[in-house]
Amino acid sequence: MSLSSLLRPRRIVHAHCDLPCGIYDPEQARIEAESCLRIIEKHDASDDKLFRARCIHLKEERAELVKHHLDVLWHDYFKPEHLQQYPDLHETFWNATKQASKVKQSLDLAAARELLALIDTIDEMWKGTGGPGKTRVSGRPA
Amino acid sequence: MRGSTALLAGLVGAAVGLTAGVVARRGYDVVEVRGRSMAPTLLPGDRLVVESRTFARRAPRPGELVLAADPRQPRRELVKRVAAVDGEAGTLELRGDSAPESTDSRTFGALPLTEVRWRVTARYWPPARVGRLGR
Repeated sequence: MSLSSLLRPRRIVHAHCDLPCGIYDPEQARIEAESCLRIIEKHDASDDKLFRARCIHLKEERAELVKHHLDVLWHDYFKPEHLQQYPDLHETFWNATKQASKVKQSLDLAAARELLALIDTIDEMWKGTGGPGKTRVSGRPA
Repeated sequence: MRGSTALLAGLVGAAVGLTAGVVARRGYDVVEVRGRSMAPTLLPGDRLVVESRTFARRAPRPGELVLAADPRQPRRELVKRVAAVDGEAGTLELRGDSAPESTDSRTFGALPLTEVRWRVTARYWPPARVGRLGR
């Protein structure tokens, strides 16, 4: 038994965050938002009633996922320090999640594009506060 | 020379650790740090001497390093720095030194003063970073 393990306290104290996995990336929200955009295009191009119904159903699911992923970034990733760096952070998230609701409710292509633009604004904030170097696991093949 | 200094510090640290462990019931204890929210002051794996005598006498003060039960998960113990004390309300606020990596009173709010009983006094491990802590 080494000296080090002999001295190991049994009482553990946490200098911790919320049991965070620490992995965040707005890409997750963007992929779901891209799905919404593409689904609307496919819906508009089809005459099949059943297919169109499925499109609407799936788009609503995807838009809900966009909101979820944005919320996770908003509550868990971004911290008050980041707000000082990006004073319009709350406003941007408010607009983006509202926009996701709009995409959920409508078949408006322009609304879906606007959602992507808002997610890209959040992506810039994420990159400006650490980005993949801090919140993704490195070593993924290019 | 460097090596022997580290060895000496290690032995001192070991002695402190063992002694603190033995006298745990007399108001002293040893703990190990997990997580990075107190970086660079405390790093994961640091081992600390804590004591419960001071706060039996007086309230914690801003700047002190303390242990407190996690309000959201009372069986977990947190180590944080006291950011502010409100004597009138009988509460205090905790912060991690590494704010972006910390979940603290900004999330879970102020804690009752009575929840904070242990004060961090020194680090005894790793040998290279043995020393007093607190302010």
